[in-house]
Amino acid sequence: MSLQKDGIARGTGAVVLMGDGDIHKLILKDKAVNALSFNKGTSTQDYPSSLMGSIALIRQTYLDAQWYNYAKEKDFDISLAAWNANQNLLQLFEVNDYRSALRANLIGKEFGQNYCIRGGGDEYKRVDEIAKSKSTFIVTLNFPKAYDVSNPFDALNINLDDLRHWEMAPANASVLEKAGVNFVLTTDGLKEKKEFPSALQKALKCGLSKDQALKALTTLPAKLLGIENQVGSLKSGMLANFFICTKDYFEKENVIVEHWISGERYIIKNPDSIEIRNKYKLTLDTLQGWNLSASGDQFAPEWTLVRDTIKVKVEATSFNSQWTFRFEPKKGKGAYRLNGSFNLNGSRISGQAQNPDGKWMTWSAEKMGPSEAKKDTTKKDSAFVMPQTWLPNMAYGWKSKADIPSAGSVWIKNVTVWTCEEQGILQNADVIMKDGKIVAVGKFSDTDKVKYDGMEMIDGTGMHLTPGIIDEHSHIAINEGVNEGTQSVTSEVRIGDVINPDDINIYRQLAGGVTTSHLLHGSANAIGGQTILIKLRWGQTAEEMKFKGADGFIKFALGENVKQSNWGDNNVTRYPQTRMGVEQIYMDAFTRAKEYDATWKKFNASKSKGIAPRRDLELDALAEILNKKRFITCHSYQQGEINMLMHVADSFQFRVNTFTHILEGYKVADKMKAHGVGASTFSDWWAYKYEVIDAIPYNGAIMHNIGIVTGFNSDDAEMARRLNQEAAKACKYGNVSEEEALKFVTLNPAKLLHISDQVGSIKIGKDADIVLWNGPPLSVYSKPVKTFVDGICYYDLKRDEQLRNDIQSERQRIIKKMQDDKAAGGPIQKGGSAPHEEYHCNDMENAPH
Amino acid sequence: MKKIFIFLLLISQAVMAQRPTPATTNKQRILLLGATAHIGNGQMIPMSAIGITGGKLSFVMDAKGYKPDPKAFDTIIYVNDKHAYPGFIALNSILGLSDLEAVRATNDYRESGSINPSARTLIAYNPDSRVIPTVRDNGVLMAQVAPQGGLLSGSSSVVQLDAWNWEDATVKADDGIWVNWPSMRQQRMATPDAEAEQKAKNEKAMQSLYKQFDDAAGYAKSNPSVKNRHLEAMKGLFDGSMNLYVRCEFAREIIEAINFGDKYKLKVVIVGGNDSWRVVDLLKEKNVPVIITRTHALPYREDDDIDMSYKLPAILFKAGIRVSITDEGFWQQRNLGFQAGTVAGYGLTKEEALQCITLSSALILGIDKTCGSLEDEKDATLFISSGDALDMTGNKVEMAFVQGRMIDLDNYQKELYLRYKEKYSVK
Repeated sequence: MSLQKDGIARGTGAVVLMGDGDIHKLILKDKAVNALSFNKGTSTQDYPSSLMGSIALIRQTYLDAQWYNYAKEKDFDISLAAWNANQNLLQLFEVNDYRSALRANLIGKEFGQNYCIRGGGDEYKRVDEIAKSKSTFIVTLNFPKAYDVSNPFDALNINLDDLRHWEMAPANASVLEKAGVNFVLTTDGLKEKKEFPSALQKALKCGLSKDQALKALTTLPAKLLGIENQVGSLKSGMLANFFICTKDYFEKENVIVEHWISGERYIIKNPDSIEIRNKYKLTLDTLQGWNLSASGDQFAPEWTLVRDTIKVKVEATSFNSQWTFRFEPKKGKGAYRLNGSFNLNGSRISGQAQNPDGKWMTWSAEKMGPSEAKKDTTKKDSAFVMPQTWLPNMAYGWKSKADIPSAGSVWIKNVTVWTCEEQGILQNADVIMKDGKIVAVGKFSDTDKVKYDGMEMIDGTGMHLTPGIIDEHSHIAINEGVNEGTQSVTSEVRIGDVINPDDINIYRQLAGGVTTSHLLHGSANAIGGQTILIKLRWGQTAEEMKFKGADGFIKFALGENVKQSNWGDNNVTRYPQTRMGVEQIYMDAFTRAKEYDATWKKFNASKSKGIAPRRDLELDALAEILNKKRFITCHSYQQGEINMLMHVADSFQFRVNTFTHILEGYKVADKMKAHGVGASTFSDWWAYKYEVIDAIPYNGAIMHNIGIVTGFNSDDAEMARRLNQEAAKACKYGNVSEEEALKFVTLNPAKLLHISDQVGSIKIGKDADIVLWNGPPLSVYSKPVKTFVDGICYYDLKRDEQLRNDIQSERQRIIKKMQDDKAAGGPIQKGGSAPHEEYHCNDMENAPH
Repeated sequence: MKKIFIFLLLISQAVMAQRPTPATTNKQRILLLGATAHIGNGQMIPMSAIGITGGKLSFVMDAKGYKPDPKAFDTIIYVNDKHAYPGFIALNSILGLSDLEAVRATNDYRESGSINPSARTLIAYNPDSRVIPTVRDNGVLMAQVAPQGGLLSGSSSVVQLDAWNWEDATVKADDGIWVNWPSMRQQRMATPDAEAEQKAKNEKAMQSLYKQFDDAAGYAKSNPSVKNRHLEAMKGLFDGSMNLYVRCEFAREIIEAINFGDKYKLKVVIVGGNDSWRVVDLLKEKNVPVIITRTHALPYREDDDIDMSYKLPAILFKAGIRVSITDEGFWQQRNLGFQAGTVAGYGLTKEEALQCITLSSALILGIDKTCGSLEDEKDATLFISSGDALDMTGNKVEMAFVQGRMIDLDNYQKELYLRYKEKYSVK
């Protein structure tokens, strides 16, 4: 099956026969698949620049195509017409990795398609979810090469996830087979197609069954492509498409000798060749006691001239049925040059020759018996032992699903509890959690009926307990682009589509006491993308990390990023370039949204229904804001623009939910209070650009004291690990009490995110998202000892020590294996792991930097 | 003699000006009585008496049983229950070289071209930068102002942060030359060609470094009559009067830099040094100090210990290596104390952590005779904080002296704070 591997909607692919001749006759099926991907390829269009943009574009195209089917008044659209025509074909989706495979699967579910997915070769990492997707996978046998680990320092730059992937990639097909995933194999991804047999051998060695391998190369792909009545099995009535090989195809030394394509025979190795790997007694000139011996490859044997223990190298070539030999029985005495042919059964070879003096003569050699087989000197590789896939399959991952604890019941005793509730700070108190919830807060004794079977007891003496930290502004755990900054309004894109559950910063932040993160779109445009709220459930999938039932938010942005002030002198034409233009963007967008919303409301209210209006994902999100079903968190700095956005909101009768960054919030705190907007700010950042020239670290305190719900956020993967220290700065700058300051990173962001009935304080009935600290939580000297999310201890200081040892021993194990592989002649690659994918608000590249 | 209690001082500061005027030379004999003195050398005196005469510390001692002679002092300041610290020293900073990162016109830390040994940060240092008073307010009273970018960036200088102009500010001019070590860390590249390119880039840079230092070493020795300003600027490297500050992170780069220093007999200081803990033996053997540029940093690699950046100073310190901590940039330096405080949670005592931003820094800069700790005869550059200055909840600088001069702790941000507090009538 051949297709154009470029772009997002790639058009159709055809099934062709690989024979020679009239190409029209070689097409078995002209439209076999409709192909898609997330990669815009060589397209010169700006949009989309991010993975989430690609996803939005695909979803919008489905909607447009559906509308195109039923809309009455429309212009002819060649793309949508073709899109619709191709919907009944096999839908083939190419992705880079397992995460995008699951993303594609979700899109498919939304629009009634179950894609056949050409995966990235790492589906083993989440095989349970892959199996649940019910997709058919096209599995590549492109395996990474071993890394050059000869220098111990250089080897440090290869991360464990890459080391483990090197080891496990060849086992991918085997893992999929065991999990019951329907899959076929492809040569796609290999640098050279001839690598396929050896790659297949590796996969077989790692446990892929021959039976499944054969199916995955014949009947299954035939069925998938709807050509199972023509090809894929050997039975009468089918096309004569088959090949002949010397041994079982799945055996190592097997050689393909012929292809038959649609009845045409293609000879690869002389099929009539006779067994000539024999020892022959030579009769030539005056030579005495010499034998010719052929061994090795059946189709290109190695020849030697042998007498007793003397071996002389023979230059041998064949052309049609004739052989050429050249050898020097005595070195330096001149060479014999022979031409000769075998008889029919290979028992004799004879012909003419010239001796070293140039004299012509006849020669012959009679078969004496088979030549001695060459001793196999290659090292026998040891049997493959399937490693356990870690979750995620990298440093600090859980060893298996069973390794992730479940939420039992835990009693933390005699601890200082910062409730972030009216109770304030409780000394020598107890907190009990059960099944993921906080069930008791107070002082209990063993006789109180708070003890459950199998309850874990933790002595909190000398320690402090706080609610989990909530980061209102984070960009961790995002794949392939935080900004869809190609347009000024991109409310259709969703960070929730591109969560990366394998980001090490999730674990690192748990170690800093963070339990909930609000992952935001960047600030490159006035109306950015929809945000996603996650709990840091390290080891779980992207979908499992989502905060269930939380309100939807969207990122807006004001100021210098939006107007491209700091993007260099080449970016001076995109609208808006001034704060004046930013207001116009909002007014235009909401004017459109209002009209769109009215059209839909009218349609939904009408009895006769009729033809539905076209759905627009961008306007859907904006209409949700107007209908108070989606809420704004807006990147903001200067007082003027803050004031402006509140006016825009007022004029459309909604409320801005949160100003994030909001460094000049203190200048318009009274107006913010009147509007009812919250603030999520930095503790002490300033001076990094002109619009923060008046930023002051007392900002948080002023807004808080005026009665605005105020939080501190990170916008930075490092700072998020120390948000407790940032909160402490509210005490330093502005004399906020420690108790209130802690709320800046717990209860207050929970309120800003509308989740304060679930998290943000230690209160009976709330989620057991809590952190046990080894000292006062706002002290620079304190650190978390345990971090619980939903009552599950996802970070434990002691366990972390063990994980560090595990990482070292696991690295050592694989590095040793890589050296063995290299010694056995395996290919190697230089270099280390790719840079970590890490974003801030204004990062435009979708590649990691 | 006047007796001052600290609350009086605070009231006097309520009259605020956006840009504090540098304090005049101290002609008084001042006694600071009762503070916990954090000396900066790892020692601490719970109840201290600190004498200041002119610009110097006349004594620092235990105040237990001490009855000050009122005639011996012009002013006695009672600072019981408060803490005294030597002024923090912000190494590797661009204080005074930048006022707003994104505004090009305010940036004076990176010259164009790759070989700039004669470029001097000192003359670009702006003592009137609005950022400086905000940094002082948290205890940073001295800074090394360092050039950035290129291969050989230029020379740094050490300044005190209460001055009319850069000449006044100078504590030590041209203390060292800065190198951004060519990267030896190979990243994964799409093609073997790109990998070769990476290597070639390193080799080319190394060649130009060797050429520059061969020339400079020869020049320093022969002192030719025809002057070369680039080579002239590097002379101090070869007589030990200047450090060679090498910015690098990866173990192989650190080793290479030390080998390089050996070859030319240079005083190498590693700046950054993420991997320095992996080569402690070499650092110790060659007596090479390390300046850690941020402790509030993510680990260098995914597999690293998650607290690697926090515990790195302790590993080096315990191994007997001279280690100093700094924050990056300019406005960020106000968190210098907290960068050190965090380390105290990961293997160092509070006094040792303090040492990493005071005396150790002074030793690296070669100004330890006069700066870096609260010891007799050193400059009276110190501050009084109401609480633990390494902790966010304790750091409240109530009074600060630079070379004996009590400086104005006002700043632009405080002024805005007061203005808006008043507007809203909030506490």
